[in-house]
Amino acid sequence: MNGKNIFCYVMVAPALLTTLLLGVYPMISSMLMSFRSFDLLNVANEGSHWVGLDNYRDIMSDERFTQTVTQTVVFTIVAIAIVVSMSLFLAQIINREFKGRAVLRTLIFTPWFAPPVVASAIWIWLLNANVSPINHLLLDAGIIERKIRFLTDSDTWGPFSIPMLSIIAVRVWNGIPLVVVFLLAGLQSIPKSLYEAADMDGAGAFAKFWHITLPMLRPVLLVLLALLFMGGFGHFEMNYVMTGGGPRNLTNVLAVWTYQEGFQLLRFDRAAAAGGVILIMTSIVAAFYIWAQSKDQQK
Amino acid sequence: MSSLKFKSAAIASALALASAAQAESIEFWTMPYGDQIAWQSTVDSLIEGFEAESGIKVQHETVPWGNAFQTYLTIARGGAAPDCADMYWLHSFSAIGGENYGPMPLTEYKDRLNLDTFYPGALVDVTYLDDIYGIPWRGDIRAMLYRTDAMEEAGLSAPPTTWDETIAAAKAMHLVDDNGEVLRWGYAFGTSFKVTDRLMPLYWQAGGEFMTPDGKIATLDNQAMRDALTFMHDMVHVHKVADIDSFEKGYEFLPMFADGQIAMFGSAEQSWGKRLDAEYPAAEGTWAMAPSAAGSEDADSFSGAGYFGVLRGTDKVEQCVALLEYLSRDESILALSQGSGNVATKPAVMTSEFWSDRPWKKVVARALEDAHTSQHAAPAWSAIATPEPGGIIYDLIYNTVVLQKDMDEEIAKAQELMQAELQR
Repeated sequence: MNGKNIFCYVMVAPALLTTLLLGVYPMISSMLMSFRSFDLLNVANEGSHWVGLDNYRDIMSDERFTQTVTQTVVFTIVAIAIVVSMSLFLAQIINREFKGRAVLRTLIFTPWFAPPVVASAIWIWLLNANVSPINHLLLDAGIIERKIRFLTDSDTWGPFSIPMLSIIAVRVWNGIPLVVVFLLAGLQSIPKSLYEAADMDGAGAFAKFWHITLPMLRPVLLVLLALLFMGGFGHFEMNYVMTGGGPRNLTNVLAVWTYQEGFQLLRFDRAAAAGGVILIMTSIVAAFYIWAQSKDQQK
Repeated sequence: MSSLKFKSAAIASALALASAAQAESIEFWTMPYGDQIAWQSTVDSLIEGFEAESGIKVQHETVPWGNAFQTYLTIARGGAAPDCADMYWLHSFSAIGGENYGPMPLTEYKDRLNLDTFYPGALVDVTYLDDIYGIPWRGDIRAMLYRTDAMEEAGLSAPPTTWDETIAAAKAMHLVDDNGEVLRWGYAFGTSFKVTDRLMPLYWQAGGEFMTPDGKIATLDNQAMRDALTFMHDMVHVHKVADIDSFEKGYEFLPMFADGQIAMFGSAEQSWGKRLDAEYPAAEGTWAMAPSAAGSEDADSFSGAGYFGVLRGTDKVEQCVALLEYLSRDESILALSQGSGNVATKPAVMTSEFWSDRPWKKVVARALEDAHTSQHAAPAWSAIATPEPGGIIYDLIYNTVVLQKDMDEEIAKAQELMQAELQR
């Protein structure tokens, strides 16, 4: 091992140790717990014992849990599709030179300044059917005749409901700045000569986007999608703060279900099993990302 | 050499002093109540008095309510704990902590805690398996809250005193515009965001109890439960005077009440009196409190409590008991009650001038006579009554009142699940 290697290991060590201690150790510990009985109310007296896959079977037979898994996937896919499409559009706009660009950039990045919990509290007020200024505006403008119950309407269309769409909208609003930054960095690394050559070939705006921008953004998009999917499957704050999973469990997601099971019902074993399901889902995304990246490297 | 010896001696004596100071210093945690600055100043001034009297230093820390439950759960599983603290859910945390962590029994010190000066009902909340765990310092008593202007407008001369009168009053005060949009809901079950807290007083008023006194047998499947749930269901779906959305998280009761969009609450936290005085002074004269309406059995009011206790693992039990002894005095309980806005747990304090200078306070003091504790002698009660989906009582209310599922089936299911929980 040469001096350069040692230096590299020393530099990486603090981050690695932190990850091992605060990330890997709790994850393994939680995984082990998911195969054991761990009822907080009696673990002090009766201890914890090996139960194999019982906790997984138990939660999988719970209708509320399977509904929650489906919703977590729907929430994540829809929110990511919208946030990435909108960010692609916005990033292209603010990548150009025009008057007022600084103002527009500031506006786009503003939601970043609000932590998710604070943003949720603000949006609860904005979307509360009885005091919502949005409802008042729409009623005054004659667009609606009755107040929209943004966070409480329990009518559904398949897996979709107004509360689910409302939370997706807030998650998109809060997520756009990060995605725009990623895409903006990607856009700025695309050589201008490619667009100039396309111009000379008479390519239109859509052709340039499809044949130059998107392929050149592929590495950034891959990282971004992997991060967004993994974050999305474990998302907690907005769903918990805004609706707590209601109405009728229509906005519940896995992380909130896990929290309720662990900290409200005191069943850490079932909560750990739900955590295991989240881990499996994020592992699939990670595996797909690694596969796509290795495929890119082979080209 | 002599200089070195002198320095060593100086360091040793400094360490000894620091260690002695440490031995006479205790860590005390509380949660914030009402105005946080006022609360901090109340606790600081009490601690100042205690320190001057006892010579024991107290380091006070405030634990935000947002993570209080997780904090005490961590403590009960062996996490970093203070010496003594403001606590709740005694039965659950005692069971979780077992004999190593969590709340410490103080039965051997009970003669020093002035326990005979507290309401006997409040002592239920500091008793577990015949042991005493501290002093009950705060109460959360609930009573009826209503808009006097809405009552007047509806031609009612007095607040309702029975369920039937409540239905009639709610219908009379309920206002709807030409589009069918509700301008004022005639009734709301309670001010608390906890949906489960809304069923409890109704069930008791109908003559029910959630379990046997020993906490071993669930007692949900009876006529009292049917009566309570039917009352809730009918207020929403038959009389249409209560908002179905009020069962969802994030429903804003206070601004709606202050704005006249809700006419009456069946079970309002007493702290709302203080909040309405402080936050909505312009609403003065438009609201009042009254004792809870009676069901078929009685007019029980929801009552919760918190207590100051000692944590297992501390080696400063004597110092903590001295602090609890100081805080159990009438003047301390009065100061805590004034600072927090919570009702006091002592009759002597509730007859003080502070608890009779506003009409709503007199009602609150009167409601204590009908207090029914929300604590139950079962460690699983906190899980059974959790106000989240998946909780047995929550699901029972939600399924029967909001989703209108078959009541008998839901009650039978809840009974079975609760019995299993009690045997956990």
